[in-house]
Amino acid sequence: MMPWALLTAELTVSGWILLLLGADLIVPAARKARLWLVALAGIAVTWGVLQLVEVPPAGATFQRMFLLDPFAAYFKTLFLLTAAVVVLMTREFRPLAERAGSFYLLLFTAVLGALVLASVNDLLMLFIGLELLTFSLYVMAAYLKTEARSVEAGMKYLVLGSISSGFLVYGIALLYGAAGSTGFDAVRGALLRTATMPSVAAGVLLILAGLGFKIAALPFNFWVPDVYEGAPTPVVAFLSVGSKMAGVVAILRVLYGAFAPLQHIWGEVLALMAAGTMCYGNLAAIPQTNIKRLLGYSSIGHAGYLLMGLATGSAAGAQAVAYYLLAYLVSTLAVFLVVVVASDAVGGDELDRYDGLSKRSPVLAAGLFVGMLSLAGVPPLAGFVGKLFVLLAATDSGLIWLVAIGAVNVAISLYYYLMVVRRMYLLAPRAPDPIRVSGITRTTLFLLLAAIVVIGVVQEPFLVRITDAIRP
Amino acid sequence: MPLLLTILLAPMVGALLLLFVREDQTAVVRRVALASVSVSLAGAVAALLTYDRVLGGFQHEVFWPWVRSLGIGFHLGVDGINAVLVLLHALCAFTGVLISYAIGSRVKEYYIFYLILITGVFGVFLSLDLFFFYFFYEMAVVPMYPLIGIWGSDVEEQGVVRFSKEYATMKLTIYLTLGAVVALVGLLWLYASTGARTTDLTALQEHFAVRPLPASLQRTLFPLLALGFGVIAPLWPLHSWSPIGHAAAPSAVSMLHAGVLMKLGSYAVIRLAVSLLPAGAQAWLPWLAVLCVFNIVYGGFVAMAQKDLKLIIGYSSSSHMGYVLLGIACLTPLALNGAVLLMFAHGLMTALAFALVGHVYDRAHTRWLPDLGGLAHQLPFIAGCGVIAAMASSGLPGFANFVSELMVFVGGWDAYPVQVVCGVLGVVITSVYMLRVVRGVFFGPARPAYAKVTDARRAFDRLPYVVLIGALLWVGCWPGPLVHTIDVSTRPLIERVNPVPRPLRQLATPTASATTAAVGLVAPTEGVH
Repeated sequence: MMPWALLTAELTVSGWILLLLGADLIVPAARKARLWLVALAGIAVTWGVLQLVEVPPAGATFQRMFLLDPFAAYFKTLFLLTAAVVVLMTREFRPLAERAGSFYLLLFTAVLGALVLASVNDLLMLFIGLELLTFSLYVMAAYLKTEARSVEAGMKYLVLGSISSGFLVYGIALLYGAAGSTGFDAVRGALLRTATMPSVAAGVLLILAGLGFKIAALPFNFWVPDVYEGAPTPVVAFLSVGSKMAGVVAILRVLYGAFAPLQHIWGEVLALMAAGTMCYGNLAAIPQTNIKRLLGYSSIGHAGYLLMGLATGSAAGAQAVAYYLLAYLVSTLAVFLVVVVASDAVGGDELDRYDGLSKRSPVLAAGLFVGMLSLAGVPPLAGFVGKLFVLLAATDSGLIWLVAIGAVNVAISLYYYLMVVRRMYLLAPRAPDPIRVSGITRTTLFLLLAAIVVIGVVQEPFLVRITDAIRP
Repeated sequence: MPLLLTILLAPMVGALLLLFVREDQTAVVRRVALASVSVSLAGAVAALLTYDRVLGGFQHEVFWPWVRSLGIGFHLGVDGINAVLVLLHALCAFTGVLISYAIGSRVKEYYIFYLILITGVFGVFLSLDLFFFYFFYEMAVVPMYPLIGIWGSDVEEQGVVRFSKEYATMKLTIYLTLGAVVALVGLLWLYASTGARTTDLTALQEHFAVRPLPASLQRTLFPLLALGFGVIAPLWPLHSWSPIGHAAAPSAVSMLHAGVLMKLGSYAVIRLAVSLLPAGAQAWLPWLAVLCVFNIVYGGFVAMAQKDLKLIIGYSSSSHMGYVLLGIACLTPLALNGAVLLMFAHGLMTALAFALVGHVYDRAHTRWLPDLGGLAHQLPFIAGCGVIAAMASSGLPGFANFVSELMVFVGGWDAYPVQVVCGVLGVVITSVYMLRVVRGVFFGPARPAYAKVTDARRAFDRLPYVVLIGALLWVGCWPGPLVHTIDVSTRPLIERVNPVPRPLRQLATPTASATTAAVGLVAPTEGVH
């Protein structure tokens, strides 16, 4: 039974998928809105199971296709946390209420894909995990089937996503040809033994392109603004946090596990991609008039910082990326939680509807204020430390030019985040009536904001956990 | 609780307490804010009084390891330089909170942002760790955005908006953040090149004493730090955010801003750029001395051309900060002491000026110089204070500004005579526009439009003005103790940068205290137990 013990978390989620499927059939339509409790319980149980399982320093199963190590455990925890907040978000998103059952089902399959991705040690496993995640998201993006924008978002995501999957498979095939195996260990061995052939380099780059699509890196990010604008907001939140994190985790596994010998190739490619991605994302965010589009471009900007950490190829870079993701997770989820509630109350995602939000709901405005400043990288908030660690790792690797670009982008991103703050705090509200925020949402928001401050001020405990997960 | 930690955290605790006060209880909000800055003020006075000048170095230190793997520590400490600046900030914060009583809308939010700003500035002055230095620096910059954006006022010219407050506050925030990130690149580069894996200032200095950075690297890093932090100083030509920002900000924010925030820049140049990169400093300081002259003369002329009271004071501040930077650039003991003392003096004087302008603007609802006049009839107390502020600003003897400017000029004469002559010209320019302001606002026949304008009548209303003027006069008449405290810490700094004094200058200025004595400022033995 030993091989299965390492898969307990994935098996739990799979079991819960069946449970949700059954519940969706049994529960009457009127009470489907209550299904969030079942979903949340599933995440809590999985989290508990993950804590109970003894994580070996380098556990592997299924011919080393699947790993369970502290690295996997760390990111699985983050995926579950994201999913939990997204479930709480869906409570507030009314268009989903009637069809919540199958939505949670899809969310769980997406989470299952992400959990698998955290453990991959084989190119085929990588493909399976990625497709499981992405297929769920295709459907989720188009979930509001009566709304043209949502369907359009789903279609765009599907078409571009399929092309990037094609890249990925092509790359896998090329590498298989060179290494004779899809296992990361075998690929690394083959890359060490032989001189780099053009086909191998092409394979590596194609795989990076396929994964670059997931994290919205230039030039694979053209789906982002339209999908962010059209898809249901909780889905966008999961796309922005869960999916991006899954992409980064997969890149970390592939680059540090399989492609380590080729660092001279992908290091430079990623550094260039990082510079382009963050400049494009942050500059294009400036003229946006829709908050979800703005957040889409800003998420491209953040992908740039993540790529900067990855480009270092060092353990410090990977640790910085892990810290950045933690900070990005809490900040982005806080922002999207506010957007879900506020958009419902103010009647749209257009930025001008946020005018004077601080007068209508000080809590929501404060949440958006703190979340966005954290994303911009203002101390004492989490995002600041994440950016600092990434910049520090890049400096240590001698990428001063990239650090300079990254530093200037901090100021650019502060500009457009402050433009939102300006609307909320400086302008007069369009309607005077206060916005009511439910107790559960309020508590979730407070917890996220507290986490933003704690992660920003007390870095050591998190860093110890991360260095435990990512060893040089 | 350690003294410095009390100073730092009192305003933060105040801000946190305010979260639990109801919006409409403005009296409670104000009292909480006042109490928290009073604690800091008492702490700042205690820190300065208990500073042991014989022992020197950093005292009252607090040190907690923070992130061990990166060598980051939470390290607070005061020496002669920042003890004085902490007192300046505490005075400005205390009087600023009193002046903020004039704020009537969204009082709770205002004080929360104001107290966060105060905490950030204390943090910068007290931190002896690069990480926390930057941490608090950015933390001080960003609250300015809502403070100016919400409670500020547009800069108008005859009823037409010249700069909206939104423009002013965004420009300020982006300029300062851009400067900060440039400095951040320099700091990260510095940290990565030492090989010491520490962000602690004292540890870095010990490390550099044994293994200094290569001179070429120092020359690359120095401009990053000096220009990055110079933006807030505000170094010409990166100053353009500052007068507009001052003009748009509510008076109490301008007080902190011109009084203290600008000093963060010059303090960072002394504490980080000059102190950590001596070879870089020697290469670049002559250029800084040239830029300062532009600050002084250009800023002064632009101030002369303004008609908006706040813009006049704003440009005057950026002009006067030129003296501070000139004092730093000279790098002689006397000039550097003068620069630090001038930070103190100028901070108090500008805070006073902005408080006065704020009072006039609140009551007369205009700060357009041609529209004002004869207010001394209605505002005898404010007019008196205005005359005093103008005298202090023009560097009249008796005020701290005179002492410190004189020290900068005398101390800088050997190093940069041309620049010093231009600097002295700046004093004349200052008197021109300050006297014009005093005449235009307070003197002349009483105008019926301002018949209902009220003076600061109650003792409580007069308290901030009295505190600021008292401190200015006290230091102006008895600068000895303060100069000696500063001197304890500037001397080792200069010895580090200039290990071998240049022979010619050694003849001219044997030691700072001898020169100080020669100019008749203080007896050389005073203050040494």
